[in-house]
Amino acid sequence: MLEFYKKQHLYPKVQFIVIAKNGEVTASDDNLFPLEPGSDIAEFHPFFESVIPLLADKNTQLSYYCIHIKDKICDVDCKTFEGKDPLIVIHDLTEHYESLQLVTQMRNETVIESEILSLQNTYLQEKEAFKRTFIANFSHELRNPLTGIFSFTEMLEKTHLSDEQYDLVEVVKSLCQDLNIMIEDILDLSKIEVGKFFTKDEVFDFDEMLDTVNFIYSTKARQKNLNFQIHRDEKIPQYIEGDQSRIKQLLANTIENAIKFTDEGQVDLYLKLNNKRANKVNIQFEITDTGIGIAKKDLNDIFTSFTQVHKDNKYPGSGLGLAIVKNLVTLMEGNISAESELGKGTSIRFNLKLKFPLHHREKQKKKTQESDILFNNPDKYSILLIEDNKISQIIVLKILASQGAFFLDIAENGAQAMERVEENDYDLILMDLRLPDISGYELAPLIRDLPEKKYAKTPIVALSGSMMGDGKNDYKKAGINDILQKPFQELQLLKQLKKFFK
Amino acid sequence: MTISKKIVLLGHFGVGKTSLVRRFVENTFSDNYKVTIGVHILKKEMDLPENQVNLIIWDIEGNEDITATRSSYLMGSHGFIYVFDTTRKSTFENLKRDLDHLKNNYNNVPIIVVGNKNDLITSAYLKENSSLFEQVDYFTSARTGKNVELIFEDLTKKMIS
Ligand SMILES: Nc1nc2c(ncn2[C@@H]2O[C@H](COP(=O)(O)OP(=O)(O)OP(=O)(O)O)[C@@H](O)[C@H]2O)c(=O)[nH]1
Ligand SMILES: [Mg+2]
Repeated sequence: MLEFYKKQHLYPKVQFIVIAKNGEVTASDDNLFPLEPGSDIAEFHPFFESVIPLLADKNTQLSYYCIHIKDKICDVDCKTFEGKDPLIVIHDLTEHYESLQLVTQMRNETVIESEILSLQNTYLQEKEAFKRTFIANFSHELRNPLTGIFSFTEMLEKTHLSDEQYDLVEVVKSLCQDLNIMIEDILDLSKIEVGKFFTKDEVFDFDEMLDTVNFIYSTKARQKNLNFQIHRDEKIPQYIEGDQSRIKQLLANTIENAIKFTDEGQVDLYLKLNNKRANKVNIQFEITDTGIGIAKKDLNDIFTSFTQVHKDNKYPGSGLGLAIVKNLVTLMEGNISAESELGKGTSIRFNLKLKFPLHHREKQKKKTQESDILFNNPDKYSILLIEDNKISQIIVLKILASQGAFFLDIAENGAQAMERVEENDYDLILMDLRLPDISGYELAPLIRDLPEKKYAKTPIVALSGSMMGDGKNDYKKAGINDILQKPFQELQLLKQLKKFFK
Repeated sequence: MTISKKIVLLGHFGVGKTSLVRRFVENTFSDNYKVTIGVHILKKEMDLPENQVNLIIWDIEGNEDITATRSSYLMGSHGFIYVFDTTRKSTFENLKRDLDHLKNNYNNVPIIVVGNKNDLITSAYLKENSSLFEQVDYFTSARTGKNVELIFEDLTKKMIS
């Protein structure tokens, strides 16, 4: 029995061959390969063809490892003797070498993969560095001509223009502004990336900031029939020390984004005090929406510059907003994360390490500008702005936000305006004279003549690009109380409103 | 007259030694990487105007360190083809050192230096790295077959002269 096993495991795995100096086989036990006596071993396999010339000397021993011979992998010993024929011993180690093959295969593949990866990485890093400096320089260069276009457009705006010309100038201005926002965004990003971005520390009234944010974004949300709400944790101190304008920028970018990708439902800002120690506060900001959501595989990309997960003309933009948020948060030593479910909504959460003054003396209101003290009514005035021009919308929005005395709705055309006035009771209506679907002269009488005459007495102030248009003197006949000429200053608008809210 | 010459292909693993041999001997190519362990020995006849040469080609396992190559594989060689991968710097950054090692230990054996996977790189890349590639005799592609025949022909001529 033992011999049987030995025969199976040991004996057949070795072959002894005796050859003549010229390579002719003189004897072979044929345990592995059948070899005819008298045949040329070089003909059997080219390995032997290159070995035979080395067997000319006597008393040499050559050992070869891991030689593929036919379908076997073998070690081969070659010995020469004095006065006797050379001996070749072949050991079949196929199994052993095949397992080695597997290990080597894995090792080599891993090494090659990591080399290729690091190659791609250096390539990508170089590309990224180039992109950054290029973008930083280029956007800087873009700013000058753009500033030029903008200021000349503003000069043009103040010349005598017809309504139509004025509207066209507004379009140019609006496009300039879009471009400017994008360039500023790109500059911000590249400044952060090359470490040239600094935040400043100042004490500010957190509640006041939230009021402004609330005013602007609930107005914008209502424009899309969405609801925007801020949920503030009462434990957060009223006065915070940090970079107010950057925090505003963070909120603006995330909330704008949430509103943009939500067609129905709700956008919420949740503020939570994570902790408060000594003069340090850690505040968590969470912006949730009920919008279209983001697929899991894309979630990582939303913070990457120039990536737009939703490549759809319905949602325009540069794709920089959230990249800036991510970079700003990181710069301010915070964390940011996103969760989303396709079709259900998205939630973006970040936290900021801020400070707060331990003994803050009730802020001496540094309200020196005349405009600041115009309104201090306890109940907010409700205003409807009917205006299709985005710039004018923002201008009015910002002016009114500074007062904290108003509630604003925006309608972009006559049809929307009619819906709004029917559903709500406004204290005053601001109306552009040139709307996409109707002129102000036609719209005002429609509003005045609503059933029950609910707007019979409500002040209607028209915004107009020119004083030369037709029927300018007939505005009173149309039921318009007054006309404010564009472009107007903050104070001009506020005084106009004040006139009606005595 | 028929003579036999032993050629060994040297270089790091995965640079395309086996692929070059297969292209030369069988005129085939595969994208799959099957590591060579030990050595495969193949034979191909090369007809030159004056001679017929039997090339006995030793396609050995790749090694990052040429000094660790089994000397039994190199013994009795008539020519070397040193292959590196043009896309992987690690396979050619020690080219000079490796060539010196060969020259010191196998003094009279001709060497052909080959940068393989030429199909994956651009001429701009070649220009950028030209200083690293000074000692290269041929850029080849086992995939397209570019210059493959030529390296064996050139080496054969060098071996019999
Ligand atoms: N694109 C391209 N790929 C190649 C070329 N030559 C080889 N490859 C690929 O590179 C990998 C490695 O090729 P091999 O020929 O097995 O390399 P090797 O030098 O024999 O590797 P070891 O046996 O481990 O030393 C394989 O996936 C081949 O398909 C080439 O010229 N161009
Ligand atoms: Mg190989």
